[in-house]
Amino acid sequence: MSETASTATELFSSAAEPELNGRRCRACGYVFFPPQSYGCEYCGAPGDQLEPKPLRGAGALASFATVHLHQGKDMEAPFTVGLIVLEDGPAVRAILTQRTDEGLKIGDRMRAVIVETNSEGARARELRFCKEEAAR
Amino acid sequence: MKKTLRQMRPVYVAGIGLHRYQRMSDTPYVTLGLTAIREALADAKIEWRNVESAYTGTAFIGMAASRPMLRHLGATGIAMAQVENASASGSTAVRQACLDVASGLTDVSLAIGVDKPGPIAGAPGKTNIHDLVGRRVVPFTHFALLANEYMNRYGATAEEVAMVAVKNNRNGANNPYAQRQKAVTLEEVLAGPPISGSLTRLQCCPVGEGAAAVIVVSDDAIEKLGIDRSRAVRVTASVSRSERVYRGAKNFDAELTRETVAQAYDEAQISAQDLDVVELHDAFTIEELLYVEAMGLCSEGEGARMITSGAVDIGGKCAISASGGLLAMGHPIGPTGTGQVAEIARQLRGEAGVRQQPNARTGLAHMVGVGAVCVVHVLQKDS
Repeated sequence: MSETASTATELFSSAAEPELNGRRCRACGYVFFPPQSYGCEYCGAPGDQLEPKPLRGAGALASFATVHLHQGKDMEAPFTVGLIVLEDGPAVRAILTQRTDEGLKIGDRMRAVIVETNSEGARARELRFCKEEAAR
Repeated sequence: MKKTLRQMRPVYVAGIGLHRYQRMSDTPYVTLGLTAIREALADAKIEWRNVESAYTGTAFIGMAASRPMLRHLGATGIAMAQVENASASGSTAVRQACLDVASGLTDVSLAIGVDKPGPIAGAPGKTNIHDLVGRRVVPFTHFALLANEYMNRYGATAEEVAMVAVKNNRNGANNPYAQRQKAVTLEEVLAGPPISGSLTRLQCCPVGEGAAAVIVVSDDAIEKLGIDRSRAVRVTASVSRSERVYRGAKNFDAELTRETVAQAYDEAQISAQDLDVVELHDAFTIEELLYVEAMGLCSEGEGARMITSGAVDIGGKCAISASGGLLAMGHPIGPTGTGQVAEIARQLRGEAGVRQQPNARTGLAHMVGVGAVCVVHVLQKDS
């Protein structure tokens, strides 16, 4: 878990329809996110076998929870976390653009969007998810 | 040839002792630990000089915790080391003590879980692998996500999930070592401050300080030291596993528990139906539902019904978290897994007083830790 959460830009592309920077193991085909180059968790192949695998920022909501208690100063509670199973395979946890879980249900189509944040004077870009119809 | 614990020299829990789990205070960890160890020595009716190795389960105290504490029992020169395995540190300390005795390296070994949790950054934050949420997802939100998914999948209600806290606080109210010693109603649980998702404050375990000691011995020690065999409880399985990649599986916590417990059943040559008492990692209410299913105590999706049916109350088919569990007894990290083994031993001796599960013969202790790791022990009392 990082201090900077999703401000690390190497996690996603900045296109209009942002993609997540996943990795794929050349040896066994395992596709995963977040990216790392230490070695394949599934088969143990070394890092040089792990190639970039862009993952479309689209998927289905598998679970969600509104966080009411948060000690970090980077974000004020309440905010809502979603577990999204991407169309390209991996499941990712992300902050949702809506603060509460109002109107959310498991199975909702979700889409990744880039959000400009300004926390303690530091501007950053984060990848968050929103409901499909709200993204358009 | 490889052997299981049960195929090695028999290992028995002969002494148990605790320092109450409590809110963080100025009490030095030395006092916490010595209180538990002296109680365990008195319980086994042996002397410190009889102990041949010691493992200190702790995650937060810092480097070299053992000797600055243990020297005050008399510096006998024995082997000692710290064991850190996140929330399973105390369970792993028990395992190391058991392995010393089972292998024949020692006849008497000590596991002492002691901790004073504080703001120390764990190694998982130092891998330089970043994700989209960082510290915005802490354990209570990880489990709030699992609770939401579970309720949706099986049609369970937030009230049914919260009933775990009602049951475990009822048990904890009768445990003098518990951090929370007050029965609560379902209304009180649900009315508490919301933490994350459907989880309220009383559905999240308190993390304080404390200590728990377990002394394990061989048959030779029982003979030589005149230990009361009728109060000795045999450890018939000790299994330690870590998470694999469960491709397409529902959640790794349940899968890891499922395979670790299955191996423990196999090594102890028991089945879920044989269990009379279970202490499990109920850091959050939803976990108890997930794990009773993963342990095969009921079928998938039946966990909520099992909790509310009374089958896992004291006096039911299998008492779960008779100590109060992590939810009521508390989760001081290092001591928790050791304290579970102490509770199971107390139950199998028939010495648990008002918390006593009638005719308890077989018990299981289960912890998971960040990583993720899982450690399970099976204890059995000869009929």
